[in-house]
Amino acid sequence: MHSVFGRGNAMAAYTLSVLAGLTFCCFLSTVFLDYRTPATINTRQVVVKSIPDYSASREKNDLGYQSVLLLFSLIFVAILNCCTHLTHLFNWNVKQLFLYVTAEYQTPSNEFNQVVLWDKIILRGENAVIDLKNIHAKYYFWDDGNGLKGHKNVTLTLSWNIIPNAGLLPNVGAIGSHSFSFPPEYTTSRV
Amino acid sequence: MDFFSNIPTHMDYKGQGRSEKLSRMIITLFGVVGLVWGYYIQQFSATVYVLGAGFLLASILTIPPWPMYRRKPLNWQKPRPPPREDGADTQSPKSKKKK
Repeated sequence: MHSVFGRGNAMAAYTLSVLAGLTFCCFLSTVFLDYRTPATINTRQVVVKSIPDYSASREKNDLGYQSVLLLFSLIFVAILNCCTHLTHLFNWNVKQLFLYVTAEYQTPSNEFNQVVLWDKIILRGENAVIDLKNIHAKYYFWDDGNGLKGHKNVTLTLSWNIIPNAGLLPNVGAIGSHSFSFPPEYTTSRV
Repeated sequence: MDFFSNIPTHMDYKGQGRSEKLSRMIITLFGVVGLVWGYYIQQFSATVYVLGAGFLLASILTIPPWPMYRRKPLNWQKPRPPPREDGADTQSPKSKKKK
């Protein structure tokens, strides 16, 4: 402490320690919050198609599985209605939310399938009231087989990943989900 | 040049202790106030800025050797009168041993 540099060094070190402590307090103040919130999801138009998934089956093609995968990969187009209010989720330890809609279903070949159909990033300060009508799925809903045609119970859930200033990165599921079934026939129209 | 070399740039021991104590108090106080304020307006960046303001204030108040940190100088003993010829002969082996 006898020189200017010594005092400056000690002060900078102490300030950074205090900053770490404050950040930890910020984490502690939000770690026990319950971020679940209700959301409603609906599907309006559900069709299923049978088209080749070239992106997924190139490798399988080489291995000689092309008959199954090329001809019977399935795609689905759902029109989602999604409504939720997320404004109260933002606090001083939330920088952004990453929302995503997941379809979960069971097929004879796989006990548990999860496909992300849609996602969205909401920064803090942006409009966090999600009220979307007639949006299409953002990503293809491929099944790795023909498990979607006539499937009776596909569940859509909305979840979000909370990106904090400090602390955990929790994945939180919305309260409420939507189950729907696929038509038993392939559509012939272009969608 | 005498003018510049005569500017005192030291703190006495008590002054060093006081400056460190003062800087820690200021930074801690600003940190606590910043935490409360940031929580109140729900903006953690405000907390960081308040802490930064505390750091600047503490830097100004306690890093430069202000005169208020030189109020309790050490009372050094008076220099001894130079030793006589006899004394110098007896003391010289001792000083060699110390080395």
